[in-house]
Order: sequence, then C-alpha cells, then structure tokens
Amino acid sequence: MTHATETLILGLLTGGVYALLASGLTLIFGVMNIINVAHGALLVLAGLLTFELWRRLGLDPIASAVVTTPVMFAVGWAIYRLFVARIRTAPVSMTVLLTFALAITLEGAMGLTWKNVFRSVTPGYVNQSFHLGPFFFPKAQVFGCLAAVAVLSGLWLLLTRTWAGRAIRAASQNPQGSALVGVDIRGVAALTFAIGVATTGAGGSILSVLYPLFPASHYLWISRLLGIVVLGGMGSLPGAVVGALILGVAEAFTATYVSTRWATVVFYLVILVVLLVRPQGLMGSRLRGDVVT
Amino acid sequence: MSAADGLRRAVIATAGLALAAYPLARPDDAYGQSVLIFAFLLAVMAGGWNIMAGFTGYVSIGQSAFLGIGAYTVALLSLRTGLSPLLLAPLGGAAAALVAAVLGATVMRAREHAFVIITIALLFLFQTLALNLEGITGGSNGLTLPLPTWDRDIQNLPFYYVMLGLLALSVLLSWWIRRTKFGMGLIAIREDEDKAAAIGVRTSAYKVLSFVASAVLIGVAGGVDAYFLTFIDPRGMFDILVSVQLVLAALVGGRGTIWGPVLGAFLVVPLNEASNNLAAAEGLHLLAFGLALGAVVMFLPHGLIPTVRAWWERRHPGPVPWERRAPATTAARVPAAAATPRRALLEVAGLAKRFGGVAAVDLCSFTVREGGLTGLIGPNGSGKTTTFNLVTGMLRSDDGSIRFDGRRIDQVLPWERAHLGLGRTFQVTRLFPRMTVLENLVAPLRGFSWSNLAADAVSGPEARRAEELLDLVGLAPLAAQPAGRLSFGQQKLAELAQVLMLEPRLVLLDEPAGGVNPGMIEHIAGLLLELNRQGITFLIVEHNMPMVLELCDPILVMARGRVIAEGPPAAVQRDPAVLDAYLGEGWGTASRADPSAPVEA
Repeated sequence: MTHATETLILGLLTGGVYALLASGLTLIFGVMNIINVAHGALLVLAGLLTFELWRRLGLDPIASAVVTTPVMFAVGWAIYRLFVARIRTAPVSMTVLLTFALAITLEGAMGLTWKNVFRSVTPGYVNQSFHLGPFFFPKAQVFGCLAAVAVLSGLWLLLTRTWAGRAIRAASQNPQGSALVGVDIRGVAALTFAIGVATTGAGGSILSVLYPLFPASHYLWISRLLGIVVLGGMGSLPGAVVGALILGVAEAFTATYVSTRWATVVFYLVILVVLLVRPQGLMGSRLRGDVVT
Repeated sequence: MSAADGLRRAVIATAGLALAAYPLARPDDAYGQSVLIFAFLLAVMAGGWNIMAGFTGYVSIGQSAFLGIGAYTVALLSLRTGLSPLLLAPLGGAAAALVAAVLGATVMRAREHAFVIITIALLFLFQTLALNLEGITGGSNGLTLPLPTWDRDIQNLPFYYVMLGLLALSVLLSWWIRRTKFGMGLIAIREDEDKAAAIGVRTSAYKVLSFVASAVLIGVAGGVDAYFLTFIDPRGMFDILVSVQLVLAALVGGRGTIWGPVLGAFLVVPLNEASNNLAAAEGLHLLAFGLALGAVVMFLPHGLIPTVRAWWERRHPGPVPWERRAPATTAARVPAAAATPRRALLEVAGLAKRFGGVAAVDLCSFTVREGGLTGLIGPNGSGKTTTFNLVTGMLRSDDGSIRFDGRRIDQVLPWERAHLGLGRTFQVTRLFPRMTVLENLVAPLRGFSWSNLAADAVSGPEARRAEELLDLVGLAPLAAQPAGRLSFGQQKLAELAQVLMLEPRLVLLDEPAGGVNPGMIEHIAGLLLELNRQGITFLIVEHNMPMVLELCDPILVMARGRVIAEGPPAAVQRDPAVLDAYLGEGWGTASRADPSAPVEA
C-alpha cells in the first residue's frame, strides 16, 4: 500500500511537469488550430540549452528557466513570423506538415550541435530525496513540479487577468468577432505562438534534471504530450492539466508494476482509444462548427 | 491540351520502357539497381499516401508504419513456414490493410487533426511493439531473413522487377480509384466533408476504405523490401525519416495527382543519395530533408505537376461556351393547390439545440406536408438554418424528435438521411469548386453499395440525367466548367440540380433567392413551381417576402428558436405575433401575454 501511494504521488509530481509541457501545445492548438509537431523538439532544444548553461556557467537547471523561457519566447516569435505566418490560411494538413518539417530540421540541427548522445544535468540534489514518514520523494521531482506549477499559474494569470490574455482567449473562441472589436488577430497569433513555445523554455529546463535528453527523444515527448492533450480535449488548458495528471499517474503505475519499457505505450493507446470513443476528450467542448451554412 | 496529353503519354511510355530495360542493359550495376529499387519503393509509398492525403485530404505523417508492418509480417511468416517472402508478400499487404481498417475506424468520427495524431501514434506504437515483443520480433536485434535462393548473378533482378511491378500496380490503383464513384466520393470529402455527407456520400466508410487502399501496397512492398534487405530491425523499419521522404515525394510531385508521387520519388531519391554520400552525420541528413519538406510546404504547396498544369492552362485558355437559353420552364405561375390536406412528410416535435447558453432552437415543432411548397420565415437569428442543420443531420439535436415519412431520423447519419430522400441546398452555396459542374451533379449518391463504389465516376445513364437537369435549370453549356467559376446565381442553380440528382422527396432550400439578381429570382421561382408540380416537396427559408408570399403556402414563422405562427400567406401577414417578431415587442396595438404561443390560423 505504501508502495502504491508513493507511486501515486510520484505520478502526480510527474503529471504536474507534464501539465506545463502540454500547456503550450494545447494553447497553440486552441487559438490557432495548429498542431505544433515541433513542440517536442523545442522542448529538447530548451533542455539542451539548459545543459549548456549548467555545464559552462554552473547555472542551476531549474533556475535557468529564467533564461530559457525568454529565449524560447523569442524563438517562438521568430518561427511564427518566418514560417507559420506565411501559411496561416492554409488547411490544417499543410501547417502540420510545416511543423513536422520544423521538428525534423531541429532534430538534425541538434544532432550536429550536440551529437546523438544522452545529456543529463546532474546538480547536487539530483540523487537526494525528501523523507516524509514512510515515503521517499526525489528532490528533483519535487522542485520540478513546484516550478512547473508556478509557471503554469503565471500562464493562467496571464491568460485570465491581462488584456493580452483576454485577447488570446477571445481570438481562440471567435477570430472574426475579435477582429471586429479591435483585436489585432495577427499580433495575437504571433503572441500566442511565442507564449506557447516559451513554455518549452521552463519545461525543457525542468525536464533536463528529470530525464536524459538527446535530439531524437523529441518523438517520445511529442507522443506523450499529444496523448495528454487528446485525453484532456484539444485546445483546453484545464483539460491538459487533468490529462497530464491522469497520464502521469498511469505511466508511473505501468513503469512500477509492469515495466518502464511499456510505460510509453500507455500514451499511444490513450490516443487511439480517446479518439475512437470520445474525440472531444475529457474537457474539450464541441463547438458550433457551422455558423454560416 | 491533346498535344500536351500526347507528350505526357510519350514521356511516361519512354520512361517505363527505359526502367524495364535498365537491368538488362547494365546487368552489373548493382548500385544503380538498388538505388532504383529504393526509388520504386518510395514511389509505391508516396502513391499510397497520396490516396489518403491527396484524394481524401487526410494527411498522415506515420505512413511508413505500414512498411514495417508488412516487413515484419512477411519476415515472421517466412521464418516460421520456410516459404519464400516473395510468395508471402501479399500477406504483408493484408496485415497493413487490417491495421488501417481498425485505425481507420478511429477517424470515422473525428476530423483532420485527429487523424494526424493517430498516424504519429501508429508509427511509434508499432515501433515500440517491435522493440518490446522480443520473443516474437527479436527486439532491437532485429530479424534476419534467409538469403535469396536464386543465382547470385541475377541477385537484384527479381527484386527490381517485383518492385517495378508494384509501382505499376500502385499507379493503376490510383488511376482506377480516381475514375470511379469511390474516388469521386473521396474528392468530395476532401473538398467539403459535410456537404459530401449531405449529398449521400457515406463518408465514414469512404474514409476507412481510402486508408486501407493507401496502406495495402505499402504492406506488400514492405514484405519485398524485407527480403531484399535480408535484415530488419524496429528503428529501420518504423523510421519516421521514411515518412518524411514519402511525404516529400508526393508533395513535390503533386498531391492529388496520379503521377506526382512517382515523379517526386525520382526527385527525392537523388537527394537521399547525395546527402548520404556527402556526410555520414545523421544530423545533416535530417537537416536536409527537414529543410526540403519545409521549403516545399511553403513555396511549392501544390507540387510540380499541378503548378505546371495551371501555368499551361493560363497560357492556353479554352473557350467558355455560352449561349443565352430560355429556361426550360415557362409554365404559367399558378400557386400549387394546397386545399386538400395531405400526408405529413416531415414532422418536427420539441426540437432543441443549445450552443453553450444560447438556445438556437428551442422546443421547435412543425409539420411539412407532402406535395407543398412550405415557407419558413423569421428574423435573423431565429434558428432557421440551425433547424435545417438539425433536420439534415449536420448538427445533433439535444432534444426532441424528427420524423421523415413516419420514420424517426434524429439519430440517423446525414448521408443516410440523404438516401431516404432528404436533400438540401445552402445559404452560401457549397458546390465542390474544383470539380466541373457535371462532376458536381453526378457526385450525389442515392445509396451505398460495394458495386457502386467501383462504378465509373460519370456513367452513361447518370450523365444523361445530369444533362437533363442542367438543361432544366439552364446551365447545360457550362457542364464542363469548374463549379468555382460560376456566378453566385448559377451556383445556386447548379446546387439545386445537384440535390435533384438524389431524387429527393423533400428538399430544404436555404435562401434560394439570397444574393441573386431579380431576373434569376424569377427563373428560380418558376423552376421551383415546376419541380413541385413534378412531385417534389419543398421547405424554403427565404427573406425575399414577395417571393415567399407568392410561392409558398403554408408559411411557418420562426422566432426565438420556435415556430410561432403558421398559415396561409394572407393570415401570416396579419398575425400580430409575426409583426412582433419582426418589428419588436409591443409594436402596434398587439400586446400579448405569451408571445411564443403558437397561433392557429
């Protein structure tokens, strides 16, 4: 029982981090109807940047989110302006191929820069644990989850308490209507994309302490995140949080009681089953598809 | 165009002969042969992808999974049975088809983005299975197949010709699909899926079949490829880079064309060889393909063949035939006799649809009787179009019932409602803009049958019926024009003719006169009367009051999501509830306790 409780709590801690990782993906989908397949590659990029900061400057990986987040914001802005904006009006299929191409390109570039070897960030606390009664919690997991929750809360405040956030939410619900009441839709789209990618900054920094990273691991991450977003409901931020917690726990139990090698299969199966049984996910709403017909 | 056609045929025939003769001319060029074998393989895969992505419009980025599924199926069977992998290759295709059918079921209810995600999951799920099921697949150690049994002198030749044969088969399959009813349904889904369902295309079955067709030959090729390579492992066989290459090939050649994927494959393979030879670094290889794919998506999204074809057609525009023709109907405008009460054809009771907090349709009840021209009017936002969407099944109702000819249909899928004889047109016309007018007319399907899938897209009797209808609406000279080039009024007529191909019993018309010039309105009104006389019942949403009052009897009035009045034109015109609805509460003298209570006329 103790073992199961510990697995549950570990799963929730992991889920908290997953929630942050998935938030940007679901935000970009919700506002722009774009599946950013490169989200995983951007995450790995941020993780490898954190690795460099730690190796060269000795910066604490989680704290270096302060650096990587604005850097990834700028990267997201640039990607939007240079590539995505040019095919904004293209159908979903073309934008998905563009972000897919971006993911492959990033993987290639990272392979040339960092070689295809695992990179781990190992600050002093990485092998230490908190002891709480009969339970052991790795410090890195706890710090990572706390940092993720802090960033997610910041994102939530940004979306609900600021004008920019309100513009983003308005644009996600009704682009034409927002444009009519004076929201600069293209500016909002760029901002959304940049914010969505900025979450990979903090996310990648946290990830670098928890998992070894190498360029091709982005496929694993995008698969995990798509599983979370599909389960929660594409485009729903609360859905992503709920989906992340559920799948974090499911993965932890599979890894503990079956095998770590089968843990990722959970995500693939969730994708298939959810899309088969309940395509809108847990918290996604089916909206009025055809307003003018 | 015939000169261009001849040139195209000559190029294809020459290229085909050259490829068939190549190993005979240079039997010792093992490298050249294996490069060409890879080009054939890539062309087969790109052609398969093109069926789902090019014809049906659903993009897959995990298509290379079917290569691995075919390869592993054939390798495992061959190792167990001792039979030649070449004999077993069709079973690789069967396995791929089976997986595609099961996964295809997941997209029956979901749209484009869900399908993309499913295909990513498919690729990595099977890669993980191949890695983890060590007892069966050998895990990361892979599987080694027996060496070919034939003479070493001809080592590559059987693979070369089998793969070339598969390529020919793949082109044939695409060509055949494109000219059948099935292919036309796929194109209709790509252009406008809801509309396709509204004209009777059983979209779910079409999508699943299309995915199966796109997978099957890749599975066969996977079996052949496994034998050719003699060694397979999970990373090599479920390789996303192969997906990138096949997508790039189909895209650069021309998505949705027959020959584009083949042309693209022969362009991508040299790039592959060059980047393989230039640098051993895996990163550079990925970088090259990532950049190439990105560049094609951004700068050549339609691909080479369609771009060149568009350029050619701009240079050599064909004449647009047009002669002024009197509409086929010049019958005197006598309103239909509505005196005798007739059978109820459409019965709507307590219908409700909410969008969040907005009740667009709220306890709406009405009856449309057979043989009439029933009008449905009401202020903007009163729920008329939503009611249409509920009746035709484009939206699911939250509550209430819909009966068509006595049968309850509110849970029936849209295409099935079309088969029952329920047709509709749209406020903003939804023809398939890139199909010709004639193709638009033969796209509707009155039923679903397997034999009908294989029928010619434009068959004799159907084409004649379509031409009759085009004659009736006065569009016969425009039959060969792309529907997107018609004027709005002409599109309205074409869409009406399209719906009539369903031989509907009830047609819902959403603003047939909206945005149409007055001369055309006269023409449309005359047509509707003529068609009504021939036995078709109409329910018409229209804001053009003179037309409604002249044409329709009875008239239903909707406000705030329900029918508030019903009766002959003269009665409805004087009904205080109707005046309230249009001109605001408390207008004039009428002030009623319950403005939503139905008024019997």
